Parts: sequence; structure tokens; C-alpha cells
Amino acid sequence: MDDLGFILLSYVAALGSTAALAWWVVRRGRALARQVPDEDKSWT
Amino acid sequence: MAITHTQTTGPTPTGVTARPGTGTTATRWLGIATIVLFALLLLLGLVTSPADVVQGESVRILYIHVGTVWVAYLAFIVTAVSSAAYLWKRTRSLTWDRVAGASAEIGVLYMGVTLLSGSLWGRLSWGTFWVWDARVTTTAFMFITYIGYLAVRGLGGSHDQRARRSGVVALLAVVEIPLVHFSVKMWRSVHQDASVAGRTTDVTLDGQMLFALLLGTVAFTAMYVWYVLHRQRVLAMEDAIDDRGLDQALLERRNEAI
Amino acid sequence: MNVARTALLIATKDLRVELRSRVVVNQVLPFAALVMVLFAFALDSDSALTRTAPGLIWLGTIFSLLIVVQRSFAVETADGALDALRVAGVDPAGIFIGKSLALALQLLVLELLLVLLSIVLYATTLDFAGAVLLVTTLVPATLGLAFVGTLYGGLAAGAKGRETLLPLLLFPVVAPVLIGATRATEAALGVSGAATGEGWPWVGLLVIFAALFGVGGTLAFGPLIEE
Repeated sequence: MDDLGFILLSYVAALGSTAALAWWVVRRGRALARQVPDEDKSWT
Repeated sequence: MAITHTQTTGPTPTGVTARPGTGTTATRWLGIATIVLFALLLLLGLVTSPADVVQGESVRILYIHVGTVWVAYLAFIVTAVSSAAYLWKRTRSLTWDRVAGASAEIGVLYMGVTLLSGSLWGRLSWGTFWVWDARVTTTAFMFITYIGYLAVRGLGGSHDQRARRSGVVALLAVVEIPLVHFSVKMWRSVHQDASVAGRTTDVTLDGQMLFALLLGTVAFTAMYVWYVLHRQRVLAMEDAIDDRGLDQALLERRNEAI
Repeated sequence: MNVARTALLIATKDLRVELRSRVVVNQVLPFAALVMVLFAFALDSDSALTRTAPGLIWLGTIFSLLIVVQRSFAVETADGALDALRVAGVDPAGIFIGKSLALALQLLVLELLLVLLSIVLYATTLDFAGAVLLVTTLVPATLGLAFVGTLYGGLAAGAKGRETLLPLLLFPVVAPVLIGATRATEAALGVSGAATGEGWPWVGLLVIFAALFGVGGTLAFGPLIEE
């Protein structure tokens, strides 16, 4: 792999995994929020 | 209080408003800021900042690498401090445990990215994917150690058991990691490799490059804060569902006896 | 009952169990010897074997540590013995120190066997100065391994899905012992031209490790096994 390939791989790995993590936690939050009454959500 | 069924399929229980998730106004703004920061990082990192005189284009990897390693270390410090906060009776609260867990999750991820990006950068700069020095080896050890920490959190049992066990593991890791670092340092100092000396991530940078480095650090830190806030709320809900499920089961059992 | 007396009682209990069942003697020691032979097959070079002998001794020890720790806690979780001890109000610090001491003694026997095998199979030599260094190395190294083994063994003991966690937790932690003990043993056996004097700083590292985890383990064991 050349310079550019390694550089792009680093950016894709870092930003891609970040995006995936963000997407996952938001989705999970929404799915659970449907089941949990408001009194258990201290941030609302 | 009306008895509600907390199954995943079925009607929305009473008491749940249309609140969509774990977001608040603050986290929405933080999220937007984070996205902007990352967009800027992409622009500066890949396009507008100059290549290094010595390293060439490979310096661009450092804008990612330095950001993720800083956050990974920060995450583990937060995990250790939160664990201590839980274990100390006066400040005991499961919120600390959940913060510790959330922090370790993103810490492990970014530690992995750090090792990957560092390895790629090393290959381009020094010609090798790996070097057996104290910093790199300790980072790899931290990675493994916190994977173990997350595994301990997954062992099951009550919330308190989880918090106690993982809390102890996190604090033992605070003892273990410096020991590993120190012993590897002692070990490598015996091997006076000429090829190892001169391999360093310390580089002199011009203004734009320094700015990109700092930008990367800020962007990843913002993401870290955003994630921990959301994730510990998700964990709070998971624990609440667990508790309600238990209450439910107890209630049904009692009703059977009547 | 104070901690020291508890520890002594627990230690003698563990050793008595071993004396009667002979699990370590009959199973773990042969396993360790076998590992030393397998190393020879893998490395396929007499000079490489002699050169790496110290590392192989301690690798063999660490692999065997896993099994001995699991055995140490299998004894407890059968019939819920550990829970019974806890519920009876036995000081966890005493349990920790007692089990560590028993474990350390068994490990010591194992290590001496491996050193002997290294002299026989790998052609390493030992002079008087080296022997002094070696014995001084064995004490803190063994105690360190025993402390962390008991600590993480207590965590991983019992319920299903936990035993496989032990290697993942234990091996990163024993790395400093592996590094320190191997370097000290290299100096003791005079391998690769190492002088005996070079080993002593490593003994210092091992003492620090043992001290830190001795204290840390004594404090952490209670919260870890609490239900």
C-alpha cells in the first residue's frame, strides 16, 4: 500500500468507526426510550 | 402506579412521553459542533495543510493518531476515577459505574484506532509496522487490559456486582499499566538499538500543521464527551429495564401466591 | 481471629488438599515438563534453546500458573466453600494471603523443576553466584505471580463463562514478572554472556511488583468476591 492508501485507511478507520458508534448509540437510545417511563430518564 | 409491560414489541407503556431518545438540547449542540469539527479536520488534514519537509504526506496520519491517543488515555483516566468514585462509599452511585463503562468503550475503540494509525504511520516513516519500545508496547497492553475490563462488565450479576468487580479491575489496571511501561522501558534500554533511536513521533511542525493537530484533539474530545453522555443514559435505561423486569417478576410471583 | 492466623489456616488447608489429592504433582508438573519438551520441538536448535532457556522457564511457569490458579479456586467453588467462608465472616484479606502463600509454594516447586529441566534439556549451567541470584529471583517473582493469580482467579472463579476470562485478565498483568524474571534468570544462568551482576536491578523490579500486588490484592480481594 502506498502513502495515500495508508493515510486514507487511517481516516476511514477513525472517522468511520466514530460515525458507526454514534449511529449505534443514538439508535439504541431511541429504541430503549420507547420502553422506559420518563421518571427513569434523569435528563428529561 | 399502573403495571406496565416492558416488552420490546407491544404497546408503549403508560408514562412514556414522545421523548425520542437520549438527546437533550445540550447534546444536540455538542453533536453539531463535533460534526463541524470533524469536517474541518478532514479538510485541513487531507487537503489544505502542507506536507512535512521530512516525512512527506504521512504526517497527515498524525492528525488522527494524536487525537485518538489523547482521548484513549483520557477515557481510561475517567474510567479509573469514576471507578474510585463508585467504590468510595460516600460517593457511591451507579451513575459513576455507567460513566466508567461508557468511557472504557470509546477508550478501547480509540486505542485500537491509535494502534492502527500509529502502525501505518510507522510503516511509512520508519519502514516498520511495529517497534518494541515502552510507549507502543504499553499502549497495546492498555488496549488488551481494557478489553478485559469490558469483558468483566459483561459477566452478569447485579448492577452492584458489575460495578464493584469492574471498578476493582480498573483500579488494578492503574497499578499494572505503569509497571508494564516501566519494565518494558528497563528491558529496551538494555538493547541499545541504533535503529530504535531516532524513531519518534516528536516532530517540529509549522503553524498550520500544529493547528490541525490541535483541531484533531479537540474534535475527538468533543466526540468522547458526546458519546459518554449518550451511552451512560442508554446504560441507565438498560439498568432501569432490568430493575423493572425484576420488580415485575417479583410482583407476578407474589400474585401467584394469593 | 486475626489476619495472619486466618492466612496460615487457609494456606495449610490448601496445601493439605493438594497433599491428599496430588493434582498439581500428578497433573500440572508433568504438563510443565511437557511444555518444556514442546518448546524444544518448536525451536529446533540447540543454541536457540540455550539462549532462550530463561524465557522458556518463565513461559512454562506462566502457562502452568493458569492451571494451578483454576485448581486453587475449583477447590473453593465445589460445594460453595468460598461463599461459606465469606458468610462465616472470615476476613477476605486472610483468605487472599493464605491462598496466595499456598499457591506460591506450589509454584516454587514447579519453577525448581523447570530450572532443573532447563539444565538437563537445554544445556544451561549454574554456578554459585548464579544460584544465589536465582533463588533471590524466585522469591519475589513467585510471590508476585501468586498474588495476581489469586486475585484474578478469585474474580474469574465460579459461574459459567468466567474461567475463560482468566487468561485474558492475568497475562497482561504478569508481563512485568515475565520481563524481570527472565532477565534475572538470564544473568543467573550466564546465558548470552550476561553477567550475574546484571540481574539484581531486575530483582528490584520483581520486589516492587510483589509488594504492590500484595497490598493491592489484600485490599481488592474482599470487594471482588463479595456477592
